[in-house]
Amino acid sequence: MAFEPYECIDAGTEYCPCHLAETGDCILCSQLQKCDCCQCEHWKGVCIYQEFVWNNCKAKKTREYHKCKIIEKKIYSDSIVIFTIKAQESLLRDLTPPGSFVFLRKPKDVSLFDFPISLMDVNLKEHTMKVAIQLVGVKTNRIDELKENDDILVKGPYWNGILGLNHIKECPENSTCVLIGRGIGQAPMIPVLKALNEKKCRIITIIDKGKYPNVFVDDYIDMYNPQVILCNTLKKGELTLEFKEILLDTLINEKPYLVHCDGADILNYNVMKGIDAVNESEALSHEILYSCCNNAKMCCGEGVCGCCTRKNNDRVLRRMCKMQTDPKYVLEGRRKY
Amino acid sequence: MKIVIIGGGWSGCAASLSAVKAGAEVHLYERTDMLLGLGNVGGIMRNNGRYTASEELIAMGGGELIQLCDENSVHRGIEFPGHKHANLYDVNNIEAVVKRYLIDKGVHLHMQSRICDVELDKKRIIGVYLSTGEFVQGDVFIETTGTSGPMGNCLRYGNGCSMCVLRCPSFGPRVSITKCAGLEDMMGERSPEVYGAFSGSCKLVKESLSNEIREKLEKEGVVVLKVPKEDVNLDKLKMKVCQQYALKEFAENVILLDTGHAKLMTSYYPLDKLRKIKGLENAKYVDPYSGGKGNSIRYLSVAKRKNDLKAIGLDNLFVAGEKAGLFVGHTDARTTKVRTFATLW
Repeated sequence: MAFEPYECIDAGTEYCPCHLAETGDCILCSQLQKCDCCQCEHWKGVCIYQEFVWNNCKAKKTREYHKCKIIEKKIYSDSIVIFTIKAQESLLRDLTPPGSFVFLRKPKDVSLFDFPISLMDVNLKEHTMKVAIQLVGVKTNRIDELKENDDILVKGPYWNGILGLNHIKECPENSTCVLIGRGIGQAPMIPVLKALNEKKCRIITIIDKGKYPNVFVDDYIDMYNPQVILCNTLKKGELTLEFKEILLDTLINEKPYLVHCDGADILNYNVMKGIDAVNESEALSHEILYSCCNNAKMCCGEGVCGCCTRKNNDRVLRRMCKMQTDPKYVLEGRRKY
Repeated sequence: MKIVIIGGGWSGCAASLSAVKAGAEVHLYERTDMLLGLGNVGGIMRNNGRYTASEELIAMGGGELIQLCDENSVHRGIEFPGHKHANLYDVNNIEAVVKRYLIDKGVHLHMQSRICDVELDKKRIIGVYLSTGEFVQGDVFIETTGTSGPMGNCLRYGNGCSMCVLRCPSFGPRVSITKCAGLEDMMGERSPEVYGAFSGSCKLVKESLSNEIREKLEKEGVVVLKVPKEDVNLDKLKMKVCQQYALKEFAENVILLDTGHAKLMTSYYPLDKLRKIKGLENAKYVDPYSGGKGNSIRYLSVAKRKNDLKAIGLDNLFVAGEKAGLFVGHTDARTTKVRTFATLW
């Protein structure tokens, strides 16, 4: 089995070492995996064991809840609400990188109602963040009960909302990049669009409204002005012919440095296979890199509750709250039972 | 035949040269930006029995690195307690000299390339992985990653990271290749059930010494200064790797050798106590930076191997240098390489 270079998203931050270090389940450090010797196959620049010992062999304190205020609530169609939330600058600063997310809940609810949501935008001047929430179940419907000027509990920052983050971080200036967003996936696409726009990249967006009547990120499209292709990407779990043609043409003709996809795993996976096929055909002089949203279910956000764990055919246990890796290791070899 | 050497310390360099001379295509992978590893702060050659070993290496055709050290020695034939006819090479220049020599001889150097895993086909290694995920195939693999550090080991078995020349945080720590291949490494004990041993010396900035000491050091190569009685600590001798320097004289005296730095022949020495000694009032460490507190820990991943230096359990992995046993010097490290190649060809 090929070596999988991965990192822990929290290693080297104020939240490392976490509770997984206390239980001998750190995803990076062999000494904190009940081994008596260093074997740092995955290294992020800090010795987590040292941090742990210097912290009296205890986990650092976990993310805190911040009591914030909803200053705007917009409803798109019947099942998407967009909250603009006023928050402390220190929290917002940590939420600017692509892949950032928070947990939300009503202040009077118990922590069982926490649910993760990707940031759509952070405005450091106005001290606000925007989140788009698809109302799908117990927790999201509960948060929909909140109105403008109500308080909301925000726990964060969390950062592992994207797989293949390094490809975005290391994208050279003036590159060509393709962003694909489907349905609610349009929201987490915006920080990626913003980051690549900062690098003066030429950006082509392929947007699928999904089951909604309209694109709900128009404002951002106007602001960053990428090329926009509207198309239906999926039908009955398969890529549509229309989308396949658009994707293939774009890959071959535009030779992008990076493709990023924000959709369901079935879309993320099939786009990845398409890129693999183009890369393998050697039609291009360089390998197209790929990143996508991390769709793992999350509950505690710290790899403890087990909700985010994923075991593929390679039988490797991956804690997707923490593990920052390439999409192929997560999407490939999915077990079908 | 493609030979992949993992680790660019003295032993890996010696392996490269021997393999190139034997006609192989040689690729040397080193995780940092410098070859020689701890050899960048070593310096002592040809002391006592190593004189004979050096001459034997030269006679066997494996003496290039000995000769490079001879040519770049700042002192020759010096004596210090327990040791005779030592040469001291210039630690500040030797690395670049060796690097050029290896390139000139056709060794393919891959710097800042950290090997993190292996791909096995039963008992053969078919390739190794870089930390980036890049795969490197080869016919024969030689592990010369040593046994020092990394930081977690220096903490668990020592006094914590002392910021030594190995620079684990900057370039990523060494990874045991034998362990990646599923083999069990051995750990040396400095006393019963106390694992690992401290590296044996620190280096002071020469400019921080008094003029008198610096001049004497540069002229004679060695300066011996009395340790105040209340600070003599004989127990410290048990901790160190280089038991040939674990003599009473090394506890009762501060022994400085001129290797380009002022090499202080003790594992670590609290800075405030060091500065009590006349002439060392301004003393400052240059390696490890925290030499007042600790030093790197060694001997924590020694491979089980046969006398031909082949790792037990694999068909095409050889080990050398400290990885192959509890060796304590540059000469010993290089000798293991020559032994390996006597077996291979």
